Order: sequence, then C-alpha cells, then structure tokens
Amino acid sequence: MLNDPREALADQSSFVSYLVGLAGLARVVHALANEGNRRAGGAREANEIVYLLMGLSSLGEAIERLAESAPTQGPRAAETLSSPSTNTRWLR
Amino acid sequence: MSPEVLVSMLAELERIRELTLDLVEKAAPRLLPAPPDEAAGAERTVFELLLGARRAVLGNPAAARGLHDLLVAEGRRYADTPAGAQLRDALVASDAVENLRRIWETVSLNVLDGPASPNAAPDAWAELLAEAIIGHGLDDSVLSRLRPEGFA
Repeated sequence: MLNDPREALADQSSFVSYLVGLAGLARVVHALANEGNRRAGGAREANEIVYLLMGLSSLGEAIERLAESAPTQGPRAAETLSSPSTNTRWLR
Repeated sequence: MSPEVLVSMLAELERIRELTLDLVEKAAPRLLPAPPDEAAGAERTVFELLLGARRAVLGNPAAARGLHDLLVAEGRRYADTPAGAQLRDALVASDAVENLRRIWETVSLNVLDGPASPNAAPDAWAELLAEAIIGHGLDDSVLSRLRPEGFA
C-alpha cells in the first residue's frame, strides 16, 4: 500500500535507475560534443537534434545536482547516484 | 459506467492499437525490414536497437512527439545559459552529432517533425503511414497507370 511504505520497496524501485540512466545519457552528450569537436570551417545553425541532445544533458545535470545536494553524498556523483542509501532516501 | 469497465476498455483499446500496428507493419513491410542475413553480434544488436526505436516512434506518435518537444524546449532553455551555449557550440561543431542526426532521421523517418495538434499524432506520421500502405496497395501494374503523377 502506498501509505504503508516498506524499506524493501526502496531497494526494488526502478525510479532511481531511470534517473541514473538519464544522467548517463547526459554524459554521452558531452562525450559526443568532445569526441567530434574537430569540424573545421564555417559555423552551422543548431538544429533540433542539437537542442534535443541539450535537453537530455540539462535533465542529466539536474539529476546530478539532486545527488550532489544529498547529505550522504560522497566525492563522486556517479557512486552517490547508484548507492542503495540514496535509493532508499529518494523513495521515502 | 464503473471504473472497472473503464479500465477494461482502456486495456482493450491498447490491444486493438497493438493489433492495428501489426497489420500496418504487414501491409508496409519496408517500415520494419528484416535484419540482413550476414549481420551478427554488435551489428545485429545495433540494427535491432534502431528498429526498436522506429517501432516505438511509429507505434506511439503522440507520446514520442510530446517527449521530443519537451526535450527540445528544455534544450533551448539550457542554451540560454553560459554552460548551455558552450555545449551547443560544441555539439554544432561535432561530426559525431551530424552523423547521429542522419541516423535519427533515417530511423524516425522524420515523422516527429512538422505540425501537430496538441496531444495528437503529428501530421507527418499519418502522411507517412498512408503513403506506405496506400502506395504499396497501388503497386499493381493496372492501378499504377491510373495513379496521377505525384499522387501518394
């Protein structure tokens, strides 16, 4: 029941996995920007795929900020995001 | 009408939607081509991933368009910040992003572009499916002679 949360539910929740997946996609966007950033010549206009990737990046960074603001945060955001204690806290 | 009946109706509508999509795919097999015989390992995995993305877009056009619009709007907002502008410039200059754009347009068949009513399937989606199905149906030697030039 929703009004009777149990600790085990927090461990089984997929919600934090979704967030971690989004944060991972944001890092992929940055990798794309760095990996192929060798195009020479004239500037091009940003198209919709660029803004779509930036939207993913923005969401991922917001998620990482959530993890960074957590009291039990460690030095590395990725470890914090996937730690069981964070999962449990977010579900509560 | 009881809530149970309403939920049953929703479940049945979802089943009808899936069956209709199956029929569309049978009528227009080019939308979901079979993987090449020689494909194996990573190549086959990528092919199936791309095909899954196409099926998700074609099967859920309104939801896909909603998600697309949400991400693009968030991206434009982010681009107004200094960090976002820096990322935008790097992405625009990236060959990898240009390659990704070509892949995305091939996979999505551009059905998410163009006009769309709020919470509805984009017009391009309906046009693509109509062209794929009707065009295939008119692929008859007699009927094709009756088809005016430029008619989908």
